[in-house]
Amino acid sequence: MNKNTILTIARKDMKATFSSKKVWVPMIIVALIICIVVPTCIAYFGIHFDIVGTSSKDIEKPINAFIKGFPSVDMRNTLAALPSLSYKFVYFFLTFMMIPFFLMVAIINSMVTSSNSFVGEKERNTLETLLFAPISITDLFLGKVLASLIPTLGISFAAFIVSFIIVNVITYPYFEVILYFNSTWMILMFWVIPLLVMFNIILNVLISAKVKTFQEAQQFGGLLVLPIVGIIISQASGLFFLSPFILFLIGAGLLIANLFLIKLVTKFNNRNTLFQSQIH
Amino acid sequence: MGGEILTNIIEVDNVSKQFNNREILKDVSFIIKEGSINGLLGPNGAGKTTVIRLLNGVIDATTGQMKVMNFDPKQQGDEIRKRAGIVTESASLYHDMSAWDNLAFFSKLYGKYYSNRINYLLQQFDMLPYKDQVVGSFSTGMKKRISLAKALLHNPRLLFLDEPTNGLDPEGINEVIHYLYKVNQEEGVTILICSHVLHQLESICDSYLFLNEGRIVEKGAKQELEDKYLKEISLLVETGLNPVNSQSYKGYPYNRKGSNQLEFLLASKDAITPLLTNILSETWVHSCEITNRSLEALYFNIRGERGDE
Repeated sequence: MNKNTILTIARKDMKATFSSKKVWVPMIIVALIICIVVPTCIAYFGIHFDIVGTSSKDIEKPINAFIKGFPSVDMRNTLAALPSLSYKFVYFFLTFMMIPFFLMVAIINSMVTSSNSFVGEKERNTLETLLFAPISITDLFLGKVLASLIPTLGISFAAFIVSFIIVNVITYPYFEVILYFNSTWMILMFWVIPLLVMFNIILNVLISAKVKTFQEAQQFGGLLVLPIVGIIISQASGLFFLSPFILFLIGAGLLIANLFLIKLVTKFNNRNTLFQSQIH
Repeated sequence: MGGEILTNIIEVDNVSKQFNNREILKDVSFIIKEGSINGLLGPNGAGKTTVIRLLNGVIDATTGQMKVMNFDPKQQGDEIRKRAGIVTESASLYHDMSAWDNLAFFSKLYGKYYSNRINYLLQQFDMLPYKDQVVGSFSTGMKKRISLAKALLHNPRLLFLDEPTNGLDPEGINEVIHYLYKVNQEEGVTILICSHVLHQLESICDSYLFLNEGRIVEKGAKQELEDKYLKEISLLVETGLNPVNSQSYKGYPYNRKGSNQLEFLLASKDAITPLLTNILSETWVHSCEITNRSLEALYFNIRGERGDE
């Protein structure tokens, strides 16, 4: 493993990502809308306008069910103490419903950068030159993974910090609780999301080294959004909630999956196979 | 190379390559001397690119032995790739990056990032004024020059070029040939050029390998090939001679090619001097040229003989 080679490839790719507006602008916009604009609007309008209304049984039901069944007494009391259904909705949405949104942004952004990695080189005819260079395939893979990991995590963390500040500035005077600042969110942001992003990237880089065109790579990548859609539905319907423990388990599962994928990458460490399948 | 005995930089012995049950190369054997410029010639699909890939160890031979700079491409590919430069058929550069950034990136991959070297090469290839422009805005010829500079960043001992003149205009072709000659003379780099356009290589190659349908059909220096295949000399003479016999002049058969041009068919080069002496005793001669000794003519001779087998 050659650190310089990995960093050289990663830097080159990141520079390409950020010099192409077509790539980075959508990434930022997705994060801005889903992680910042949505919670800001929910917080502001939920508190200042009675958006939910009193007759909304649809939302009242899962919230009340959730409050009753919540394992932490403190949290249960906090929720029960909130004066109106609107406040409860805001609190519930920001604390629990935002989780899959953050997951979704991480997945979408990692997909954008990683599905392009090998296929992009191939489409520019540069993969051949890279394979003719005295670099190992593992270094090439790691450079590609790093080049996707850094911008994706960077955007996710930046979005989280901005969202954290704005949302709390709006809600703290009313709730007197710092939102996003609990074990669930910390485990989500610093355990689940990095591992999820890494999983998605390694998988996409592997797929993109196997398929022939950018479109194929995106198709495969798209499948990964499905589990997140499942989480959104389960959260909204109150079917099952992501507790810190479940999040921890999801992260552990992803870690094992990552180790498995890395093993697959090292098995795939064969210039001949890559060359014959990709270069014509 | 100061009187050193030329060593073999490439040795290929009975190499075959099969891919998807198709035989791409069959029993290919040749050697290349250090410091020489070699043409690997043959029609499209003959297997030229496959030879280059095998020598660099990016694909493996099915059978046979190879030594490149005393390394085995199968086992020690990286050692070869560290010491060899390559210009692939497509320019293989990042179009969204500047010329300088492209060269800096590749030199870092080779672990030889020296801005002096990049500057020097850009200057050598007359690209220094364009170093900050993106490669996507360059003409084919300019991209080729940057590819050449890229291939030379790490001071390679051996340079592989796959169809280096494809897509270039005549001026561009001359430039590339001129640069290659310069690199060979000044840096002592051994060069292997794949091409199907023969006349371009004539002026610089020391020896040739003719590849057809995956087999080496002939090899050698031009002189050797000429001696072997040039059995009849066509001599085009620009002269005021107007022989009475319309088919031969003093026993030398000829065809009239223009008002002042006669093409003689001679049994060997030895017949040239007596013929010219005869003509000069009668009239003027402005030029004379052997027309069937070009690489292309030799190539068709070789293919013709092989085809008859």
